[in-house]
Amino acid sequence: MKRRQFLKDATLLANAAALSGIAQNVPPEPCPVTLLAMPDYGRDLSREIAAIMLEDGLKLKGKKVLLKPNFVEAHPERPINTHIAVIAGASHACLRLGAAEVIVGEASGHRRDPWFSVLNPSLRGILDKKVKCVDLNHGDAVSVTNAGRGTGLPVFYVAKPIAGADILISMPKMKTHHWMAVTLCLKNLFGVLPGVYYGWPKNLLHFRGIDNSILDLARTIKVHYNIIDGVVGMEGDGPIMGKAKSVGTLVLSPFPLAADATAARLMGFDPQRIPYLFQAGRFLPGLKQEAVVIRGEKPARFAGQFDCPEEFRGMRGGPFF
Amino acid sequence: MAPLVVRLTSFFLPAIGVPYYKGDGPSAEPTFLAALALFASGAPVERAKPLLSWAQTLQSPDGSVSVNPGHRGQGLWLTAHAAIVFHHYGFKENLKWAQDFLLSLRSVTIPNDPRLKQDNTLAGWPWVPGTFGWVEPTAWSLIALHLSGQAGHPRAVEGRKLLLDRRIPSGGWNYGNPNLDDKELLPFWDTTGLVLTALCGQADIDRLRPSLDLVEKRQDKIESLCGLAWAVISLQSYGRDAGRLRTRLRNLMGSMADEDFHVGNFALGLMALSQKKVFTA
Repeated sequence: MKRRQFLKDATLLANAAALSGIAQNVPPEPCPVTLLAMPDYGRDLSREIAAIMLEDGLKLKGKKVLLKPNFVEAHPERPINTHIAVIAGASHACLRLGAAEVIVGEASGHRRDPWFSVLNPSLRGILDKKVKCVDLNHGDAVSVTNAGRGTGLPVFYVAKPIAGADILISMPKMKTHHWMAVTLCLKNLFGVLPGVYYGWPKNLLHFRGIDNSILDLARTIKVHYNIIDGVVGMEGDGPIMGKAKSVGTLVLSPFPLAADATAARLMGFDPQRIPYLFQAGRFLPGLKQEAVVIRGEKPARFAGQFDCPEEFRGMRGGPFF
Repeated sequence: MAPLVVRLTSFFLPAIGVPYYKGDGPSAEPTFLAALALFASGAPVERAKPLLSWAQTLQSPDGSVSVNPGHRGQGLWLTAHAAIVFHHYGFKENLKWAQDFLLSLRSVTIPNDPRLKQDNTLAGWPWVPGTFGWVEPTAWSLIALHLSGQAGHPRAVEGRKLLLDRRIPSGGWNYGNPNLDDKELLPFWDTTGLVLTALCGQADIDRLRPSLDLVEKRQDKIESLCGLAWAVISLQSYGRDAGRLRTRLRNLMGSMADEDFHVGNFALGLMALSQKKVFTA
């Protein structure tokens, strides 16, 4: 499918959803989103991350926590994946907060070889020995009823460690996406589905509609916390072929859509013009700017304009801050 | 080899298949690769029997093979692996059913897109029925067809065309496209070794030489078990020297911790070290 046709279809779907009045359980209070300055990957921010999680009410004592970063494929010159320093900072923050078990797990989208994902020695080498790394592409999966109706898939086969975790933390990279405009917390959920069932890439989800798949997963998979690696993001032809874009912040929130919408604004996009985020706003809180309260650093410090493919320039907006 | 085989079998589950990682349940791919590793290492057939019996239970009446008995219809790309196992262990009826299914499984094709510079009208094999053809499932399906004397089948001919079409101009294969927007994608060691193996003796060597040279020249960059195993298997298939790679592979396999132990990749490593022709006729 051509990108323009895809965008046209996505917009139609967005309108249809708006008319059908999909269940809205948006809480009245604003969703907290915290910006934590991280100018480069050289600092250990585990103490600060733990403090923010605590302030956000995340209770980890005695819990099994799974951190789900974004590892697509490795390229020496491109910031494609969630940086290992951010993963380490978040993992160690969870240990500080008393988590009984901390697991870093990912079902990498392009590379089968787990050495290029969570089993890479560079990641293992900086993690506390108590943190376990799990390749979600290969291993047991459980069948979970699809709580959405967009893809027409009756179930998702979800990696068993995801289903077995008490707390799931989504940790994407801040990137543009050549099909979806941006890829952040919600899109990151593709990586809970094992490649053994869905392939490399997860082409079945493309055929069923990437936006449909994102929304069905957002309805099906409960995410308890979100940390976006916006220290160095990717602009242009993301999520693989783009260029590095320094932003210098982590975006933290218990609410995935609030985190995504805020990150999109920091990238210079209006989240309400991005079809899948707009649709997610029908059932998740935090789409509108007034539905978010930003803590920590002032957003104007990090806000900028991510270069993007021409098709998505109409989704830009702002200045928001 | 013997201690490595013992290490592999220590991950086997009693009377059923083999898991990907310690603590998991049995799954089709590691079971098939472990059975092939036992075959390659010359182990008595008795040792593979529980695996083979379990493998047969994964096959559905249409010949397809699933990831495990509880998830019928999932992971059907593994039918190719099953066919290779059935071929080597002489399960003729199961092989015939698997072959028939593979020949019926055809990836979706679409008109060509100038942005991709590849022939999207060629059919190969998909990961999931009803989706596009990708390098890896196409290569595995071709290996299965080549081994069982189906190299001349029109599907095999077209599959080889697809793999040759997806070559990265400077050598090697990515998981799918060779380039995007005039930029070459990076070759992956595992897919490059797999495709070279699948095309061994089945394609013009001049068209494969840049990829073979790439593996040979950049072998010091290959670090993972899976990458090393496929590099060794592919270079050996073409009679090229893989001595240094074999040494590194053996050292890596001898020092793996349980938590890193991917049974399927370890089995591939054993096949590489055995030097037995498992994937080529």
